[in-house]
Amino acid sequence: MLLLQLLINGIQVGALYALIAVGFSLIFGSTRVFHFAHGATFTIAAYVFYYVYSVAHLHWLLAVLGAALAAVVFGVLLDRFVYAPIQRHEGSFFTVFVASLGIGIIVQNLIGMIFGRGFVSVSTPLSRSAELIPGLYVSPLSGIAIVCAIVFFGALQLFLMRTHIGMGMRALSENPELIRVYGLSPRRLSTIVFALGSLLAVPAAILSAASSGLNPAVTHHVMLISLAATIVGGVGSLRGAACAGLLLGLSENLALLYLEPQWSEAVTFIVLFLFILFRPSGFFGRAITS
Amino acid sequence: MEKMLAYILNLATLMCINAVLAITLNFIMGYAGIFSIAHAIFFGVGAYTAAYFALHASASLFLAIPVSMVAAGLLSLILALPALRVRGEYFVAASLGLQVLGVTIFSEWKSFTGGLGGVIGIPPADLFGHAITDPVQFLLLAAGCLVLVILVTNTLLRSSFGRNLKAIRDSESAAHAFGKNVAVIKTLSVMISSALAAIAGALYAFYLGFINVESFTLDTSVLLMAMVIIGGTGTLLGPIVGTVLLMLLPSLFSYMWFLPQTEIGAIQQIAYGAAMVLLMIFRPGGLVSARKNQGEP
Repeated sequence: MLLLQLLINGIQVGALYALIAVGFSLIFGSTRVFHFAHGATFTIAAYVFYYVYSVAHLHWLLAVLGAALAAVVFGVLLDRFVYAPIQRHEGSFFTVFVASLGIGIIVQNLIGMIFGRGFVSVSTPLSRSAELIPGLYVSPLSGIAIVCAIVFFGALQLFLMRTHIGMGMRALSENPELIRVYGLSPRRLSTIVFALGSLLAVPAAILSAASSGLNPAVTHHVMLISLAATIVGGVGSLRGAACAGLLLGLSENLALLYLEPQWSEAVTFIVLFLFILFRPSGFFGRAITS
Repeated sequence: MEKMLAYILNLATLMCINAVLAITLNFIMGYAGIFSIAHAIFFGVGAYTAAYFALHASASLFLAIPVSMVAAGLLSLILALPALRVRGEYFVAASLGLQVLGVTIFSEWKSFTGGLGGVIGIPPADLFGHAITDPVQFLLLAAGCLVLVILVTNTLLRSSFGRNLKAIRDSESAAHAFGKNVAVIKTLSVMISSALAAIAGALYAFYLGFINVESFTLDTSVLLMAMVIIGGTGTLLGPIVGTVLLMLLPSLFSYMWFLPQTEIGAIQQIAYGAAMVLLMIFRPGGLVSARKNQGEP
């Protein structure tokens, strides 16, 4: 029974990780920006949802819209005012990474100052778990998480495959010059990529706020997961990132069969380490070795 | 007045210890292009090993420091492994993994690290049978170690080993083509950097007489990285300037009476986060290298 319970928890967490990782992977894959602050986007969305829903007591739909808006605006502004100026004069990965890391630190601490560093929980009518069969507790949120992951991922795939902008986004990583030749602006495409990528973190942020609560330190955790999933899945492969997110969520939860909960983050990284050592190109990705 | 002196001595000692860490991190980051965010782990390994050794064997500096250096150097092979496989952004993830793993081990391996409670009652450092308890003497010891580490890293960087390192940073494939053994050079540089960082760890353990996992978390690694970056990567002076600046920051903020005292820590973090962002936009080489590196790509 414990196994089944952990399996269900693992799939729920994995679905959320998959969404986060796909957003990160989309941004990294098409703009080459190592967007470490993706964790900050997640935290901002989660706290906006918490504030509008639990503190201001407004309708949940408003809270969802607020969270989505905040995430998109944050992502787009970062791209415009931090990443774009850096890339204009220096494209090195490291410079962008450091700036992104700095942004993550700023956001995490600002949120800590505004909302406190402790745990806050968002309780919704859907948060309560029901005992399906004796010893097995499942909340409606598990189902919603899985449906969300499938819907968002499916919509993203359709967008990338069927629309002009989507195809432009896929081409952006390959050859920015070609984009210009076809009359598309790489800058505008990059804005769209950031908006979409940030948007993908929103359902995960809201659902984890409603299921497990949050604190500002979640920024780090999300950043670690996005990174690990992107590499395990294979850089540049959205399908890989989604599968890797699921794998990480599952292994984190199944590890609880043998290990104490405090090892769960370590388990994520043992998976990552094994992949880097034995299969550095990830599930489906391109080779990343030198 | 006495309080002021004690405060300055304490700050100066911690500056020396952190400068050792920043210099050793710069050694791999600025010269070999290995961007590790796991440096605090080797600092920790040095500190715990020295503490354990001092408690169970001897507090002699000439024994405790080498032992902790060997421990950190050997463990750093775990970091060298991914460093050889992948580079750049992927290595950042691998070192981040090591950092997270290390913190979990530090807080769970209770018989060695004392768990969350840490190790208490570490005896004072022993130098030629003389226990160093006086803060002035300890500052001299820390400054001495700092000078030693600067000399060692500088000598290494000026040698053919240093030229090989820079060659790898600038173009790994070219270095390879010239018949350089990239794997050995990278592994050695990681080992040297970690072993030297362990010196800072040992000093820290002896200085405080108490250590716990709080000092070796991701925040420390990021702070060290900030010191190197803000000062200027790949320069001799950069890490020291960065260390001094970032360590003066807390005392600077404590003079600003209008800031809420409980938020000082967060405000500091925001300040160095903002410094990292602004520098990357306007002066990506860091404060020190801004003039020197202008001609380079």
